[in-house]
Amino acid sequence: MLRVEGLSVRRGDGLALEAVGFALQPGSLTALVGPNGAGKSTLLQALEGQLQPAAGTILWEGQPLTPALARQQLALMPQRGEISWGFPITVRELVGLGRLAAQRPGCCDVEAALQRVGLAALADRRLDQLSGGQQQRALLARTLVQPARLLLLDEPCAAIDPPTRTELLRVMGSLRDAGLTLLVSSHDWGPDLDAYDRVLVLDRRLLADGTPPQVRQALGDLRVGHHCCG
Amino acid sequence: MERLWWLLPLALALVVGALCPMAGTLLLVQRRLFLANLVSHAVLPGLALALALRIDPGLGGVLSGLAGALLAERFSRGERQAPPGDDAVLNTVLAGFLGLGVLLIPLLGIRVNLEAVLFGDLLAAAPPDLLRSLVALGALLLLLRLRYRHYVYLGVDPLGAASAGLPVRRLRLLLTLVTAFTVVSAMVAVGVVLVIGLMGAPALFGLPGASSLRQAMGRAAVAGLLLSGGGFVLALQPAVNLPPGPLIGVLCMGLLPLAAWRQRRLALLGG
Repeated sequence: MLRVEGLSVRRGDGLALEAVGFALQPGSLTALVGPNGAGKSTLLQALEGQLQPAAGTILWEGQPLTPALARQQLALMPQRGEISWGFPITVRELVGLGRLAAQRPGCCDVEAALQRVGLAALADRRLDQLSGGQQQRALLARTLVQPARLLLLDEPCAAIDPPTRTELLRVMGSLRDAGLTLLVSSHDWGPDLDAYDRVLVLDRRLLADGTPPQVRQALGDLRVGHHCCG
Repeated sequence: MERLWWLLPLALALVVGALCPMAGTLLLVQRRLFLANLVSHAVLPGLALALALRIDPGLGGVLSGLAGALLAERFSRGERQAPPGDDAVLNTVLAGFLGLGVLLIPLLGIRVNLEAVLFGDLLAAAPPDLLRSLVALGALLLLLRLRYRHYVYLGVDPLGAASAGLPVRRLRLLLTLVTAFTVVSAMVAVGVVLVIGLMGAPALFGLPGASSLRQAMGRAAVAGLLLSGGGFVLALQPAVNLPPGPLIGVLCMGLLPLAAWRQRRLALLGG
C-alpha cells in the first residue's frame, strides 16, 4: 500500500530524517514511537506531501506519492498544539470541515463519524466545552470523513487521561477492523503498545520495526513509564 | 436639507461600525489582527502618491496597504511557533511605511490634512466615502459568502487546511486585500490609527460564547454599530462637542472591561 524507501528530510541545517524505510499493509494499526524531536511529525508531514524529501522515495501502490495523490488517499490528524481550541465552532461543524476539499466521500458521513467516536450526543456543543479526550475524538471524527485510506494520527493520546486513552485505542482498533490503515505517532511507550499490530521506532533513523514483542526484544527493556497510546 | 447634514456622517459611522468589527473578528480568529494595524499604517504612502498623481486616494491606500502587508509577510515566517523576530519585522515595516508616507507629502509637494488621515474627520464625510465603505462591506460579505467554511477551517486548524488542499496563500491574500479596503474605507470615519480599536474591541466582545464564526461576527457588528453610532451622536452633543473619531476610539477601549467581564461570566456558567 505505502512504501517508504531511503527517505531523508532536511529541516534547518540538519537532517530530521535519515534513510528511513518501511512499508504499511492495508488494514493495519501501526505505532510510530520515538522521543521528542525524533522526526515523527516530520515523517507524517513528508508522507502528506507538506515537506519535500532531500532523498528517497514514497510510493503509493507502486506510484510516486504526489501531493495531489496524498490528498486523495491520506488524512492527517494534527497534534493538539496545532488546533485553535477557542475557535467559535461546534463539534458537528468541525467534523464537517473534513468534507470541504474532498472530491469523493470518505469512509463515513458526518453523523456516522460522530457515532463512531462516541460524540453524537455532543455534536452541537462548542469545541471549547469538551474535555481534552473528547476534543481528540472530535478531531479523529473529522479525519474519518476525509476520503482517505491511510490515517496519519500525530500524537492523538497526548495529554489525555488513561480511560480516555483506552477508549481512543479501542476506536482506532475498530477503524483498523473496518479496513482502514492507521499510522499513529507517540513519544512514549508502555503496555498500551500491545494494542498495535506493529511498531516503528524512530530516532531520526528507523531503529526497530516489528510486532510489539519483537521491538521490545530488539531494543531491550527501554520502557520509560506507562504513557500514552504506545 | 441643511438640517439633515448629520445623516451622511451617521450613515458612514454605522457602515464602518459594522464593517470593521466583522473584518476584525475574521482577522482575530486567524491570529492576524496585527495585519489590520500594519495595513492601517501602510496606506499613507499610497494616499500621498495617489494625490500627487490625481487618482483616487482610496485606490492608492489599498495598494500601499497591500504592499506593506506582503512585504511584512515576505520577511516573517508567520508560523504558529514563529521566532520572536517576526514582531520586529512587522513593526519595522509599519514604521517604515508610515515614515515614507510622511516624507512623501513634502517631497511631492502635496497638501494632506495628516490629522484627518490619522484620526478621522467624520463630519467632513462625502458621498464617495460612504460608497467606498459600502463597497468594502460588499467585498467582505461576498468573501464570506464564497469562502466562509474555508476561513473557518483555516482559523481552527491551519495545518489541516493546508493538508486538505485549501489554497491557504490565496485565502490569506484575499483577506489582506479586504482588510486594506476596510481600513481605507474607515479612514474618514475614525482615521487609520484609530481603526484598529474598532476592529479589535468589538471582536473581543463578540467571540466569547459564540458557537460559530458567523455568530461572533454578528455580535461584534452589533457592538461596533452601537460604539460607532453612539460615539458619533455623543460627540455632537453640545455638552460634549468632541471629534467623533477619537471619541469612538476611547469608547472602544471602554468595551474591554465589559468584554472581560462577559468572558469571566460565561466561564463561570460553563459555556
